[in-house]
Amino acid sequence: MNLLLALADDELIIGHRMSEWTGWVPYVEEDLAFSSIAQDEMAHARLLYEIVSATGVDTLALGRQPHEYRNAVICERPNRDYAYTLARHFLYDTADAVRVEALRASSWKELAEAFDVVTLEERYHLEHARTWFRRIANGPVEARAKLTTALQDVIGEALSLFEPIPGEDALLADGTMPRASSEMLAAWLTQVGRELEEVGLERVLELAPEARIGEMVPTSSGAIEAEGSSPTLRVPGLQRVDGQWVHVGEFEGAGGRSGRHSPDFAALWDEMTGLYRAHPGATW
Amino acid sequence: MVAATLEARVRAALEEVYDPEIPVVRITDLGIVEDVRASDAAIEVDLLPTFTGCPALDAIREDVERAVAPLAEGREVRVTFRRDLAWTSDRISERAREAMKEYGLAPPGERRGLTLVQIRVACPYCGSLDTAHDSTFGPTLCRDIRYCNACRNPFEGFKPK
Repeated sequence: MNLLLALADDELIIGHRMSEWTGWVPYVEEDLAFSSIAQDEMAHARLLYEIVSATGVDTLALGRQPHEYRNAVICERPNRDYAYTLARHFLYDTADAVRVEALRASSWKELAEAFDVVTLEERYHLEHARTWFRRIANGPVEARAKLTTALQDVIGEALSLFEPIPGEDALLADGTMPRASSEMLAAWLTQVGRELEEVGLERVLELAPEARIGEMVPTSSGAIEAEGSSPTLRVPGLQRVDGQWVHVGEFEGAGGRSGRHSPDFAALWDEMTGLYRAHPGATW
Repeated sequence: MVAATLEARVRAALEEVYDPEIPVVRITDLGIVEDVRASDAAIEVDLLPTFTGCPALDAIREDVERAVAPLAEGREVRVTFRRDLAWTSDRISERAREAMKEYGLAPPGERRGLTLVQIRVACPYCGSLDTAHDSTFGPTLCRDIRYCNACRNPFEGFKPK
């Protein structure tokens, strides 16, 4: 259940954020894109909730208290601007592709079947994210600069998509999770590192957020030590080892997988569940 | 024998149910009717959603229930969307592809592994292959937006899945 909620809540919450763009994007194709992706993500959340509750999908999606949601904090952050939304979209969907592919081999039959369906739709999201990532990264100076800043802001929290699931050892032992969170994180980092290098933006990883906050002290090993990093919701530990980006150490400060959220979640939860709380049991 | 005959009649009735968003295409031709079972107690129709988030699913379910109801004769009618099986666009029949073209919608190209970008999609209006892909996301989850350089018409395409 911890695993299912983590997966489904990620989709629900990032879908909710993407839906906030509907009607606001100054470019109609992107309005369609974010609206469509939001629609897909919420449908995927529903597909997953239905595995454990055929009739109580609304109760699961909208009837929980904030601390009962298991989404990674990155999903609940406000959209801010297009650069931030795009940076998160790119990092989220590359990460999602890694775990969807892994979970298609899950020993939990219903979960594996659901991800066989999901993967056919998620690749459209990935294609969209990659297209715009490359277009902006190779685009005008100002656009590239905005994307770079946004990627720096979001990369640390993106790692927390792979924060270990509570009870993960048991899930690995019985094959529910074919790959450990740490393995999936490594696979994702390798790939994202390569994609950032392709557009010359690997410094995003070098300047991971905890390093940006304090003073940076580059060392001979290439690792960066930082002082004064924020104590909450930062996931440190990015290092380049043997030409590949890896994460080392604990998930200090993360917590979405055990229901610890940022202050941003309260407002999102309030809006998302408002109708449901005001009219319990309402249907269309 | 009765069951087999009834199943055939149910299938025939489903031939007359059209997709609410592409009203020229029968749901049987779209390939979303996965199974039909009839017994003394019930008529069951299993459907597959094209895209998981398709908002027309409830409308399709109601249309199917309405089409089957006259054959029920007291049997329970159960229409369910299955979630354990993925619909893919290669289930779309040749007849539906022709109907889409008539309607101004380019049918989906062949699925080649996981390759998404279809290099050449014929314009449904003039048949030219000199077309461009404008937007992966269109007015519905299952359609994208394209442009024909030959006849200068924008058109929609059914996405391969």
